[in-house]
Amino acid sequence: MTYVFQFGIVFDQLPLLLEGALLTIRLAATAMVFGLAVAVMCAYLRTSGPKPVRVLVAAYVEGIRNTPFLVQLYIIYFSLPALGIRFEANQAAVVAMVVSFGAYATEIVRAGVQSVPVGQVEVGLALGLKRFQIYRLIVLFPALKAVFPALASQFILLLLGSSVVSAISANELTAVANSLQSTTFRAFEVYIVATVMYLTIAVAFRGFFAALYWIVFVRGRER
Amino acid sequence: MQVTVRHLAAACAALFAVAIGSQAADAQALDRILKDKKIRITAEVTSPPFGILDKDNKPTGSEVETARQLAKDLGVELELVQVTGPQRIPALLSDRADLAISSLSITTDRAKTVWFSSPHGALSIVIGGGKNVNIKSAADLAGKKIGMTRATLEEQVVPKVAPPGTNIVFFDEHSATQQALLSGQVDAIGGAAFLINELGKRNPDKGIETKFTVVTAFYGIAVKPGNFDLLQWVNTWVFVNKQNGVLAKIYKEHTGVDLVDLPNL
Repeated sequence: MTYVFQFGIVFDQLPLLLEGALLTIRLAATAMVFGLAVAVMCAYLRTSGPKPVRVLVAAYVEGIRNTPFLVQLYIIYFSLPALGIRFEANQAAVVAMVVSFGAYATEIVRAGVQSVPVGQVEVGLALGLKRFQIYRLIVLFPALKAVFPALASQFILLLLGSSVVSAISANELTAVANSLQSTTFRAFEVYIVATVMYLTIAVAFRGFFAALYWIVFVRGRER
Repeated sequence: MQVTVRHLAAACAALFAVAIGSQAADAQALDRILKDKKIRITAEVTSPPFGILDKDNKPTGSEVETARQLAKDLGVELELVQVTGPQRIPALLSDRADLAISSLSITTDRAKTVWFSSPHGALSIVIGGGKNVNIKSAADLAGKKIGMTRATLEEQVVPKVAPPGTNIVFFDEHSATQQALLSGQVDAIGGAAFLINELGKRNPDKGIETKFTVVTAFYGIAVKPGNFDLLQWVNTWVFVNKQNGVLAKIYKEHTGVDLVDLPNL
């Protein structure tokens, strides 16, 4: 074919792309921390909460898992202002990502919670611990250990899914790539570089999670 | 192992054939279109009045009707390739479309990547916003949040006139940009004058008006670089339909205003 690659144009704008990549990492990392907190709470409420709360959590989880992320994003950014709730683009992106990741992670953590043998819970009861204490002190750690790989995979999906938030003018990696593509018209080169960046970030996070797993669940137990 | 190598060889051969084939096709795009009896033209349907979906969800608008007329005059079937604004040029370069007829303004930057015909229409880029937003000239943009769509003319011209301190944010589609204005996420937006008028008409409660004109531009039909024969035919078509008034009629019908005198490229 006759296509001539011109990466020079793209590399001139590398600082912009790196800035976008940094925002992608920040969005995803923030969403992970808060999303995980949501998931740990919701998993508890879903397994041990009062009946109405269980139904409410189930509705949240199923509602989010069965609707497109982009639509959720539009509702938060375009529709909520009508109710007087206004988020900046990046805030709206984080909120949407927390809500979405929280729902998926709730199901993952719940699976972990239910994998903990009943005997351990009964030990807690015998020691006179409260329900939430049992959850916090006995159940949560082995539950998270059991589902850690699944949570890590879900986080990578969250990270890659963040590319969608360019639609509401959040200025992350895909948004920067789109803008660059539209001013330089070098779509091929721009998206190849963006792809390599996503790949690098995702692989780096996988390494980080492997290390985290070892530090928290392997070495932490040996002591 | 033997099977793998043989498969690989077959795949390579196939790839080579495709590469050779597409190269041959590029050289004589017009012949191929006439032989296939089909021309593929971009349709951007979120950019009224140039391209919109009608009540039956069918593409229409001045640019889509222009594409229909062109295909009819060429005597071939029309295949509309739906694109978003930023995909208009990539659709040509990746061979998904033969022509881009999607209010693509003629700029020197774009001409580095695609080849333009003589202009077949004109549009003004304006800043539009609600009545309560105080913008009278470019200087008033300072401190305001201005939305616009990526890969459009406004993306190229508005930042050049905007003073420092203007917060410009970019969306991927006109519909998202307009929604941002309607929901109050931005103070004003840059866009084609028609688009702002249409938005004001459809949402009378928002009091959306044109604040000032940034630039008036001409748009043309674009082809992939190298398609001399196709471009030559398109230029002839534009010339003929400028003379016989067909282009002016389509323009008036969809935009509600008269077409200005079009210069030649």
